[in-house]
Amino acid sequence: MRLHEIERGDGIFNKMLIGFISLVSRMRLPDAARVAFYHKDFFATPMGVWTQAAMRGPSAWSVSERELMAALVAKWNSCAFCVGAHGAVAAKEIQRSAVDAALVDFRAAPISESLKATLAFLEILTLRPMELTAEDARVVLHAGVSSEALRDAIAVCALFSIVTRYADALDFAIPTADEFDRAASMLLKRGYAS
Amino acid sequence: MITTTPPDHRALAEALRRRVLDGPGETDRAVRQAAAQRATGGPAMDAPYDDLARQIGESAAGVTDEQVASVLRATGSERAAFEVIVAAALGAGLLRWRQGIKALGEVADAPA
Repeated sequence: MRLHEIERGDGIFNKMLIGFISLVSRMRLPDAARVAFYHKDFFATPMGVWTQAAMRGPSAWSVSERELMAALVAKWNSCAFCVGAHGAVAAKEIQRSAVDAALVDFRAAPISESLKATLAFLEILTLRPMELTAEDARVVLHAGVSSEALRDAIAVCALFSIVTRYADALDFAIPTADEFDRAASMLLKRGYAS
Repeated sequence: MITTTPPDHRALAEALRRRVLDGPGETDRAVRQAAAQRATGGPAMDAPYDDLARQIGESAAGVTDEQVASVLRATGSERAAFEVIVAAALGAGLLRWRQGIKALGEVADAPA
């Protein structure tokens, strides 16, 4: 963590809260959660509201499919923290082997054709946003994805294009596989709104 | 926790943009707005902000300790440095939101 105030917590309440959660969960509170407590009114609150809506709100996509999209956006952005964190949440509902296969090559993974078409769109949006065309969107719609569902997927991509960038700029510590798994359970239970 | 209201992504994105780029903070709004633009290939900023904002936009995995430390020295507080980092990340994310919605909208608007 490159900004130590985020790691420690700003203010006595947040310092105690971070310590308490770490004590009760018997693991170091992941840096993503520490950011959610930091300078909250400026960023964490409006970011948390949108993220909660996109990742847990009503959608044609299941929670695990949206988490897999987040993990893939993280992969394309080379963000190890977010690949681990959101791959672990996706693996709570999708088989771990399918999540791992999608992270290697989503086109060959045992996931739906509509999700593959959407991920192909999100790959361009993540890596070459200025090259995205209406034809790319048309291909997704022809694969049976509704406009609303594609809009939801675009929101996931936009959000994790933000998260991966501050995670890497701040140099989030990488938890162990067991810690990712336990944090994933918390994220499924508590959601993203801070 | 599952919410029941259909998400209005456009409104939620705009609320986030307004708060981070137009709202009060320890840094000038102009600095945050410039960082958001720089992260999408916009005009160069003054040093040391330029290097960090550009790097966050292009590949945040390549950000270095020194890039963050330089901005921290320039801003004088971690809270201000955080604002610059978040603003740059937000600029890159909102570009993708706009581009994705634009592509989708062009299909919806296209004649059958």
